Amino acid sequence: MYPVFLVVRNTRLRTPWLFLASYVFYGWWNPFYLLLIGYASAVDFVAVAFMERSQRKGLWLAVSIVNNIGILAFFKYGDFLVENLNAGLAAFHVGYAVNILDVTLPVGISFHVFQSLSYIIDYYGGKIEREKNLLRYMTFVSFFPQLVAGPIERARHLLPQLQGESRITSRNVTDGISLFVVGLFKKIVLADFLALYVDKVYADPTEFDAAALALATFAFAWQIYFDFSGYTDMARGIGSVMGFQLVLNFRNPYLATDLGDFWSRWHISLSSWFRDYVYVPLGGNRGGALQLYRNIFLTMIISGLWHGAAWNFVIWGALHAIGRMLTRELERTTFYRERVPRLLKQVFVFSFVTFAWIFFRATSVEHAWTIVTRIATASWTADPGFPLVALGLVASIWAYQFVYESPARKVLELAPVRIACVVGMMLCVALFASSGEQAFIYFQF
Amino acid sequence: MKLLPRERIQSNELGQYLDPPSGVLFGSNAVRLGAVQWIVAAVILTTIYMGLPRVWQWIEPLEITPDHRIPYSLSEDYWLYERYAKTVLKNRDIIPVVGDSVIWGQYVRPGETLSHALNKQTGKTEFANLGVNGSHPVALSGLITYYGAAIADRKIILQYNPLWMSSKRRDLQITKATTFNHPQLVPQFYPRIPCYDATVSDRLSIAIARDFTFLSWTAHLRRTYFDNQSLASWAIENPYANPLGALTLRLPQPEDSAPSDPIPWAEKDARSQSFDWVAPENSLQWAFFKRSLSTLQSRGNRVFVILGPFNEHMLTDESRAIFADIHADMDAWLVQSHVDHLAPAVLPSGLYADASHPIAEGYVALATFLLESDSFRTFLDR
Repeated sequence: MYPVFLVVRNTRLRTPWLFLASYVFYGWWNPFYLLLIGYASAVDFVAVAFMERSQRKGLWLAVSIVNNIGILAFFKYGDFLVENLNAGLAAFHVGYAVNILDVTLPVGISFHVFQSLSYIIDYYGGKIEREKNLLRYMTFVSFFPQLVAGPIERARHLLPQLQGESRITSRNVTDGISLFVVGLFKKIVLADFLALYVDKVYADPTEFDAAALALATFAFAWQIYFDFSGYTDMARGIGSVMGFQLVLNFRNPYLATDLGDFWSRWHISLSSWFRDYVYVPLGGNRGGALQLYRNIFLTMIISGLWHGAAWNFVIWGALHAIGRMLTRELERTTFYRERVPRLLKQVFVFSFVTFAWIFFRATSVEHAWTIVTRIATASWTADPGFPLVALGLVASIWAYQFVYESPARKVLELAPVRIACVVGMMLCVALFASSGEQAFIYFQF
Repeated sequence: MKLLPRERIQSNELGQYLDPPSGVLFGSNAVRLGAVQWIVAAVILTTIYMGLPRVWQWIEPLEITPDHRIPYSLSEDYWLYERYAKTVLKNRDIIPVVGDSVIWGQYVRPGETLSHALNKQTGKTEFANLGVNGSHPVALSGLITYYGAAIADRKIILQYNPLWMSSKRRDLQITKATTFNHPQLVPQFYPRIPCYDATVSDRLSIAIARDFTFLSWTAHLRRTYFDNQSLASWAIENPYANPLGALTLRLPQPEDSAPSDPIPWAEKDARSQSFDWVAPENSLQWAFFKRSLSTLQSRGNRVFVILGPFNEHMLTDESRAIFADIHADMDAWLVQSHVDHLAPAVLPSGLYADASHPIAEGYVALATFLLESDSFRTFLDR
C-alpha cells in the first residue's frame, strides 16, 4: 500500500488510492460497514451541497444531524432504548415487550459519525468551504489511520491536507516511526500486560478483596490510557509517514491539576468536539452559575453516552460533571489555587478519575456498585497479587512524564537518552510480544 | 475567603484544544528521533537482536548426554533444537536421525530409542536422535527448512510415518478448524492448510519469528524459564518474583522416562481398526515429506528414508489391503526418485505400543533389521 501511495501521492490517483485503502481497511472487519459509512458520508456531502444553494440552510443541517444521530441511535443505542422501554413497560405492568434489535455495532461508528457531523456544522457556521469532490470527502470521513478509534479530525484540519500537494520529508518519516514505536510499546508492553490483571479481577469482583479491586482499578486507569493513546500514537505515526499531520489527542492526562485540565489532556479531539458542538451551543460559560453547571452536566452526560449505551457510562459522565463543578468551585479560592501543592492536586485528580473509571470498565451499574462497595467495606489485608513488574513499569512511565513536564525535561531531550528510550522500548516489545494480544478498547466505540 | 469571579475560571472548561502550537503537536514526550539518531538506534538494536541469542549460547550450558534427545517439555523450542543440532553435529561423522515421535521415542526412555539401538549395535556413537515429538511431515518440513541448517551436507536418516495419512484429519485436510502439533512450523500463508485457522496477525508473527532469531530466542526463554507463558502472563502468576531471577541458566535435561507407558498395544485394546487412508497423490503430509527430501538434497545431504515401521497387525483386512497399495506407491516413488530407503518388515505384534510406535525391544529389532540390510549398510559405508 505505502509504496503505491508514494508513487501516486502527487497525481490525480492519490485520493482514489487513499479512498480505496481506507475502504478496504474498514471493509476487512465487515463489508456491510462500507454501505453504512458510504451512505452517511454521501448524505452529508449532498446536504452541504444543497445548503450552499438553499436559503434554508438550517433545514439541511437538521437533515444531516437527524440522519447521523439516527444512525447512531439505531446501531449503538437501539438495544439500550428497547431494554429501558421494556423495563418501563414492565414497571407499569404492561404485558408487552419490544424485541431486542440485536444489531452488530459497526467498529468506530461514533468516530466517523462525529467527524462527518463536524464538517456539516462547521460549514453551516461559515467556518469552512464546501468540499466539492465526493471521493475526497468520503476519504476524509474514512481516512484509515484514524477511522476506527480517532483522533476525531476536523474538516478544516484534514481536508486541506487531502486537497493540497503531498510533501513527505525525512522528518515526517522519522517522526512517524517515533510515534509508532511509542504507540506499539504502550499497547503491547503496557496495556496488554495490565489487561491481564484487570480482566482477572473485574471478571468476578466478589472473589477479590479491597486491595486487589483498588489496584485493578488503578491498573485499568493506566491500561485504558496506554491502549487508547497507544492507538492514537500509531495512527498519527502512520499519518505522518504519509505526510499527514493528525491532531494531538493526549498530553499526559494523569498529570492534570484539575478536571478541566484533565479534559484538555485526555482524548482532546473528542473533548474539543463536545466543547464546540455541544457545550458552546448550549450556552457555554455564558449566563449564571446554574446555567453554566447545567451545560457542563449535559455535556458530560452526552459524553458518557457517546462512550457506551449503558447506564454505567451515564454515571461515569455524571461523576465527571459533578467533579468538574466541585473542582471549579475550589479553583475559585485563593487557598486552593495558591496554597495547595501542585502534586496534591495531581494526586487528587488522578484518584478521582480513577474512581470514575470503575463505572467505565464495569459491565453494568450493579457490577460497578459491587466493586465500589467491596473497595469500601472488604478487607485490605489480603494479598492483591499485583505484579511488581507492572507496577514498576507504570511508575517509570509516570515518573518520566513528571520529569517531562518539569524543568528537568532537558535531560530527556538529550539524544543519548532518547535513543536509549527507543532501544529500551523496542527490546520490551520483542520480549513481551506474544500471540495473545487484545483488541483496542476504543474499537468498541 | 477570597473568590475569583466564575467567568475568570474558563480556560480549561472542556478541553483546551484549539490549534496547538507546533512545539506541542508532536506529543510523544520527547521520544522523537531524527534520521541519524534512528540509524544509531537501528545499529544498536540490530547488534542486540543478533548478538544476545549468540551470547546466550555461551552463558547457558547445553549438556549433551549420550542418547540425548530434546526434552519432551521443550518439543516446541525450535531455537534449542537448532542449537542442539548445531552442537551435536559439529562432529562430521555423526548421522542425525530425524523424524517424529517414533524416532524421538514416545514409549521408551532416552537409552532405548532407535539411535541408541543403532549406536549399540554398531559399537560406535554414530547416530544422534534429532526426532521431535509430534513433528508430522508438514511440520518436519518447516523444522528442516527454518531450524535445520546445521543438518546440511551430511548423511541423514529421515523417517516417514504413514500414520499421518491414516485419516483426513491427520493429513490436516479437514476443513473444520482443528488443533494440531507444531502450528508454528507449518506454512502460514501458502500452501494453505485447510484446518489451520490462525488469524492473519498470528500467522504474520510466526512467519517473522522464523527469520528473526531474537524472537525464537525469546520463545526459548518463555518455554524454558517462564512456564511456557508470555512474560506478562508469568508475572501475573508470579506477582512478586523477579523475572531476571527466573533465568536460572539451567536447561531441563531430557526426562529419563517415557512419556507414555510402554505397554504393547494388544494388551491395551486389541480391536482391529479400519483407517480412512489418504492416497499419496492426495496427501498433504506425503507432499511435504517430498518437500523435505528436496530441501535436504539441495543442501547436499545424502538421505536414507525409513518408511514405517507401521503396525499392520492392528488393521482390518480391508484397511491392510489399502495400506499395502499406498505403501507400494510410496515405495515406487522413492525407487523412481533414486532415494535410498527401506521399508522395514512389520515387527512382531507385541513390539508395538500403538499404530506406529515400537517399544524398546521393537527398536532393537528395527536396528537389527536396518543394519542387516544391504541398502542401509551401503548407505553407511559410502
